[in-house]
Amino acid sequence: MEAYLLNLVILISIYSILGVTLNFIMGYAGIYSLAHAVFFGVGAYAGTFMAMHVNASIFVTLPVAMAAGAILSLILALPALRVRGEYFVAASLGLQVLAVTIFSEWKSVTGGIGGLIGIPPLDVAGFEVFKPSQFIFVTVGALIIILFIINRLVHSSFGRSLRAIRDSESAAAAFGKNVPLIKTISVVISSALTAVAGVLYASYLSFINVESFKLDTSVLIMAMVIIGGTGTQAGPIVGAALLLLLPSLISYLDFLPQTEIGSIQQIIYGLGMALLMIYRPGGIVGRKKQSETGKE
Amino acid sequence: MVASTADTQEVLMEIRNVDKAFGGVKAVDDVSMDLRAGIITTLVGPNGAGKTTLFNLITGELSKDSGSIKWLGNPINKIKPYQAARAGILRTFQDLRLFNEMSVEDNILTSIEDNSVPVLLTKSQRTARREKVDYALNRAGLFTKRKIRAKDLAYAERKFLSMARVMATDARLWLLDEPASGLDPNSYEKFLEILREEVKQGVTVCIIEHNLDIVIGISDRIAFLDRGKLLADGEPQSVLNDPELRAIYFGERT
Repeated sequence: MEAYLLNLVILISIYSILGVTLNFIMGYAGIYSLAHAVFFGVGAYAGTFMAMHVNASIFVTLPVAMAAGAILSLILALPALRVRGEYFVAASLGLQVLAVTIFSEWKSVTGGIGGLIGIPPLDVAGFEVFKPSQFIFVTVGALIIILFIINRLVHSSFGRSLRAIRDSESAAAAFGKNVPLIKTISVVISSALTAVAGVLYASYLSFINVESFKLDTSVLIMAMVIIGGTGTQAGPIVGAALLLLLPSLISYLDFLPQTEIGSIQQIIYGLGMALLMIYRPGGIVGRKKQSETGKE
Repeated sequence: MVASTADTQEVLMEIRNVDKAFGGVKAVDDVSMDLRAGIITTLVGPNGAGKTTLFNLITGELSKDSGSIKWLGNPINKIKPYQAARAGILRTFQDLRLFNEMSVEDNILTSIEDNSVPVLLTKSQRTARREKVDYALNRAGLFTKRKIRAKDLAYAERKFLSMARVMATDARLWLLDEPASGLDPNSYEKFLEILREEVKQGVTVCIIEHNLDIVIGISDRIAFLDRGKLLADGEPQSVLNDPELRAIYFGERT
């Protein structure tokens, strides 16, 4: 039971990193990306490659993974952020599809469809972290650091620029904001931090394959952000916890036919999301209703 | 209003033979005019005359088909909106385009921040920024509402916030697109007072306005546009007393 809980918390914190980094561009800059799992994957593969062939120290794996995520995101951001929002969604979807093909085919780096096994544990300053009871400190610690960084950014002039762009791109530009550049920087920061989750995930499981980095994952991360509360600090974490706990909670309900548990889960997910968006569009943590706000 | 001095002021912006067509329609047709320092130039003319389009061409929101614009003596023909703002040319929008989800205070604060990369400010920079925001909040009468989200303000307050965003900056030229439309008499008295005060302090204004009382009350110079053409550009009295222009303005055209 303890191992089970540790495992859940570790996964929740990794997915929270994914949610928090997606929320940074989605909730504050209004950039909707369906390629978040790509940067998760790039971080995982780049970190693993370094760990297996060069050095397993996080002082090597993390910077390389972050740089890989940042550079790849530039390739997406530079052309796609010059145009309006919808096009970015389409371009990110294209990147997601393309990336899955590359992840499945580039055997020397990604291990192809079969993936990579025997990924070395995290090496934190010479100390090998592989026990879940230790690993949990690394993932929760990483989540806290990333939350801190994003919190600082959101409350800086940069964060205000992002929100201004989200609310009115033309007015933001009319007040001196270089909109494409600011959007690009936000995507690069988000992608670099997302890659951290990839490194942690790969060394925690010691096995990765393309299945973890497909469109389903991108959609799941987006669902976590929306359900938890887009543009809120705690929202993505609440969303990640809820969506990862839900399957376990459902499987505890004895009266459900165990053979149909998969489809029942999907029904509960779908229904829950639809109802939530109708009655609480701001998400669980988000503002309740428009009419109840703005009073002092 | 000392209209006779209007021709002697330094020219801040020089607009020459500017054209813009949308499909077959000439929205701005061979317009040439000067915007002079320290005065209020009012653009008048019926709907669809090309007034807002002219603003969009100046700030680079739209690109000109031909013609040239100089700002402080330098050509700004390929300028982008954010560069225009950084060069000291700011505009408001007819539909306001406030940063609706942000607080009143943050709307103003972000309007004076034009850094693209995350930066750390020194304490004195932060204080200077704070002072500008407070100045604009007080001038616009929004100090007590500074924590409220822009979208929760009343109509007149939203219009004043749109002005406050401009007021907080160091811009030399303000392009105001119908800033007083829909204001009640009290509010627009207050608006005129703000505008006069700011011009006295050295700001140059070009304003689009329909209400003739306001036009007469504030203009140092009037430019009359119709169907993209600049029909007159001169002292308020001479433009407003021209029977032909009056006929166009009041829709008595045959």
